[in-house]
Amino acid sequence: MKVVTGIPVLDDLIDEIPNGKTLTYWINPEVEGDVFAMQTIYTNVEEGLKCAYTTITISPESILAEFEEFGWNVKDFENFEIVDLYSEYVGYPSKYKYSANPLKIDEVCGLLKNVLEEFDVIYIPISSIIDVCGDESISCIESIFKLVKEKGKVLITSFVSWPYPEKIKKIVGDLSNAIVKIGGIHHRVILGYYYGLVKVDWKNVKSKSILFKLVRPGGVRAYIPKILVTGPYNAGKSTFVHAVSNVALSVDRLGTTVALDHGHLEYKGFSIDLFGTPGQERFDPILRMLGKDALGVILVVDSTKPETFPRAKQMLESVTHFGLPYVVAANKQDLSNALSPEEIRKKMYLPEDVPIIPISASKGEGIFKVIDALLDILVGSWKEGENEFEIST
Amino acid sequence: MGVQESILPGVSLKKGSNIMIYGPTFAGKAMFTRTMFKKFVKAGYCGIYVLTRESAEQFIDWFGEEYDSNTVKIIDCVTKSMTGDAKDTEAIKRETVMNLTGISAKINKFLEEFWRKGNRNIILVFDSLSTLLMYLNLQTVFRFLHILTGRVKMTGAIAFYIVEEGMHDEKTIVTLKQLFNGMIEFKEENGKKFVRFVSPFTKTDWLEIHVDEGGVIIT
Repeated sequence: MKVVTGIPVLDDLIDEIPNGKTLTYWINPEVEGDVFAMQTIYTNVEEGLKCAYTTITISPESILAEFEEFGWNVKDFENFEIVDLYSEYVGYPSKYKYSANPLKIDEVCGLLKNVLEEFDVIYIPISSIIDVCGDESISCIESIFKLVKEKGKVLITSFVSWPYPEKIKKIVGDLSNAIVKIGGIHHRVILGYYYGLVKVDWKNVKSKSILFKLVRPGGVRAYIPKILVTGPYNAGKSTFVHAVSNVALSVDRLGTTVALDHGHLEYKGFSIDLFGTPGQERFDPILRMLGKDALGVILVVDSTKPETFPRAKQMLESVTHFGLPYVVAANKQDLSNALSPEEIRKKMYLPEDVPIIPISASKGEGIFKVIDALLDILVGSWKEGENEFEIST
Repeated sequence: MGVQESILPGVSLKKGSNIMIYGPTFAGKAMFTRTMFKKFVKAGYCGIYVLTRESAEQFIDWFGEEYDSNTVKIIDCVTKSMTGDAKDTEAIKRETVMNLTGISAKINKFLEEFWRKGNRNIILVFDSLSTLLMYLNLQTVFRFLHILTGRVKMTGAIAFYIVEEGMHDEKTIVTLKQLFNGMIEFKEENGKKFVRFVSPFTKTDWLEIHVDEGGVIIT
């Protein structure tokens, strides 16, 4: 049997989930991540594998309705079963073949082990079990992880990273053969969502993170984030976009951008689209239009022309109105009369926490530090190692 | 974050505040909170109301003609528990009360929507934490609130969380209090209802209130 995740890009990276392995979706508590497991289960149900989906904090009827909402009619398949830990908890008799009272952890553990014997792929929401049954239930979870290996089955789990004790997080992290982190790109509020493979022990895979949207019907869909590159006329936006991108295109008239620059960049596992806006005021409507669904802003300023800073501030304000995080690229640092980043901060009245990166776009100096600074704000403390990132709450 | 919003005579809240609404059953907590929520919305705030005791439709009925789905968003944790196939709308999201991840994600979706539209004045009401504590243990609810109160602080919203007096032990109340900046406390004496504000820095006198279906009047 070949078990896959059914998640875009992920299957290209890991090929399959081998028998005896556990894949955990490690979900940020503020992100709708349950759909990943649903998509994985449905994909394998469609392939004819016997799959079981465990629910504990949501009624089985609601789960089936959610599957349907994504266009996955699992109840039409005989090889799909719900494991109902919800009904008895809220005081209703369960109408499902596999059910138990979650307040009796031994009963739950026994049931899940039986289900594991009978099915090829089983989904268990680990953190929900911990939430309802208490932290002690981690020993039951541990025994199930071990049984998966012994029996050669595939376990899909979800672990919502609430502030649990480190010990619990370590057990789940260590026992999972693969971990897919599902997180939010945040700047005061969550502006976008990503998933990334942070651990896999059966294949040497380079880390990759993918931005996604949920589509109903459809499920998880990868998408390319839009980063705005803005700044006053002649600040060097087009030069920056071209210097940093793998491929780039500008719509120019007599050497000045009149529509927009577009560049595409593959960097540290991210696919990024850069949109450079024209600097002249008459094009400001384009700026506002692009700002609505962008994820972040790079403000390029000419470090030698402080007289353009008020215009730079004005452009910044019109896009940060949408709550977007931003970094400042202090361009033309190779020129002798360039102001230092701190002088620019003072003249532009920028807060201390706004990164101002000295660059020379024409010489390609410092340009990737700008991307790094913005990614750092957007996705937080991703620490790239050999083939995994540090998992944090 | 310097903006202050008045909730009781002489009491203003800073943006990013998380406030517990605490008192015995039928003391007027829910109506007081709703009236305050409506007042904030009328003053230009965008609102998120998390309901665990009645449906979104019942809440909208109470809100009346002033209800605007662009500015008032509801997370209904009642209907989905009763019927599995209740549909969501742009302004109403249904969730089961035990699914804290679902509630948390939905609150964040609404915050994102307001934020992207340039709305920075946001009020959140969670009615009530006592319902959560009926289904889930204190530790689990505490972890959920730890994340939520942090998000409220970060976005500069103002949030109120209703807790029933007498339903929980002392340890539960003390644990929850750690998460909040202050408390609006209710009491009932000789058939009269009273309210006061308590925080580490202030404690107001008890103020008498009159409660009916339309709202609350402070006398």
